[in-house]
Amino acid sequence: MNPLELTLGIMTAVGGFVDISELVFAAKAGSTFGYALIWVFAVGTIGIVVFSEMSGRVAIAAKQPVFNLMRHRLGIKLGLLTLVASVISNLITCAAEVGGVALILNYLTGAPYLPMAAAMTVVMIVSIWVLPFEWIERVYGLLGLVMLVFAAALVAIHPPWDKIAGGFVPHIPAGLSTKELLTFAYFSVAILSAVMFPYEVYFYSSGGIEEGWAPKDMLKNRITSIVGMGLGSLLAIAILANSAQLFGPVNVDPEIPGTAAMQAAIPFGKWGLILALLGMFFAVSGAAVETCMANAYSIAQFFGWMWGRHKKPWEAPRFTLTWIVLFALALLIVLSGVDVMTLVEFAILFSILVLPLTYLPLLLLAGDKKYMREHVNGPLAKALGWLYFAIITAAALAALPLYFLTSGGNG
Amino acid sequence: MTPDSPIKLVSELLDLPLLDSEGKYCGIVDDVEFSGDAGKILELKALLVGPGAYERRLPGWAFWLVRKIAGDRLTRVPMDRVRTIGAVVKLECAGRDLGLHRDETRVGKWIPRKGAL
Repeated sequence: MNPLELTLGIMTAVGGFVDISELVFAAKAGSTFGYALIWVFAVGTIGIVVFSEMSGRVAIAAKQPVFNLMRHRLGIKLGLLTLVASVISNLITCAAEVGGVALILNYLTGAPYLPMAAAMTVVMIVSIWVLPFEWIERVYGLLGLVMLVFAAALVAIHPPWDKIAGGFVPHIPAGLSTKELLTFAYFSVAILSAVMFPYEVYFYSSGGIEEGWAPKDMLKNRITSIVGMGLGSLLAIAILANSAQLFGPVNVDPEIPGTAAMQAAIPFGKWGLILALLGMFFAVSGAAVETCMANAYSIAQFFGWMWGRHKKPWEAPRFTLTWIVLFALALLIVLSGVDVMTLVEFAILFSILVLPLTYLPLLLLAGDKKYMREHVNGPLAKALGWLYFAIITAAALAALPLYFLTSGGNG
Repeated sequence: MTPDSPIKLVSELLDLPLLDSEGKYCGIVDDVEFSGDAGKILELKALLVGPGAYERRLPGWAFWLVRKIAGDRLTRVPMDRVRTIGAVVKLECAGRDLGLHRDETRVGKWIPRKGAL
């Protein structure tokens, strides 16, 4: 198998795991609770591997992406509700990513934030227009790997590996006050939501169709989802662990993405900082492209339009117009002056509310012999799928109360 | 499955995507039309495609909103133009022959035909 064939999983995961929300939440989680939240990342990673593999398998077996079949399973009323909720969630997320890219460019060059947001939106639109799908995933996925500088930084600062390993065991730190316990719970729910953002699954399954996956690609789907998501998770955990080691002891609260970049500056100096910012720039740009395209895929597939970037833009006109308009709307939200971090919080909160609606039809489809034939969910996929559905439903129910009780995780 | 096979309409046909003979998506089965009458054999006559079919499936306020955004166009696809019914409904002819690509063609006029690799 050619390693370049893994780029769909890498782009999906880098855009999903180390996007603007994760850069903030992973760093904050580390500085606030040390290594205690690593297990939430691990749990979320298994969940997103399970569902992305399932969505890829559905795309291969039924030759249809998730949203094409979702409406058929949910019916028009619930299907439309899911579509509207995920479009709003993805649009807010996309706006947060566009704002994040502009913020990082501002750190790198000193250029003003709002003109940078406008310029980068144009650059991203042009890149989707010009590049075929394989090149979109290669450019954004592979350049996002510059984020590996965070993993190198973790090794360089000689962290307590035993404590990091202990963080993988599910536990709640002892001695927390009620207020701290609620904040811990909020962080757990937010991290789970950020790891399992629905757009990752929409993008991944549509990407499988874009690449023309066939039944012979079942193993590729499995490897791509495990390697891609595993890599994304590794990067997010590295950011958390760096933060626990470097920021927690000196009470630094990494509320803005720029603080996370300092993790590479401490061991590697100026070039570490530049690499970290470049990695963040490519990863967040990839996330912006991924959220926008996932949104356009969902809308086009729900209404049965022609879609896909394996076609020329004029061969799928409504799909093309949709992703351009969605990018323009995301830019408008940023230009309205709303704070990027506020957008991140709303994106996470809104996405967790739609998680159960997103994953239920996928679970039903992957368990349907009529569509899936011999590729139907086996006992393990079925058990894990329903277990994770229960977890995300509980998280969705707890999200709003926890948000208000903890003032959005600020205690 | 072929159009003559007995099918559970709601669970197996409604809301499936339509794919024409050129492999192009051309909408969703938004509703179905029957022939027959009370006491007579009920037969599936056509598939209905387009936002106009939402009227009987959405609450009044929601359909009002859909009509304002997408209009109330409705296209009939006779059952004799259907080849197979599975994860998608495959048609025996091109979607444009049935008037299913009108919106796509209209929007296509606004999209420049250059610059893409």
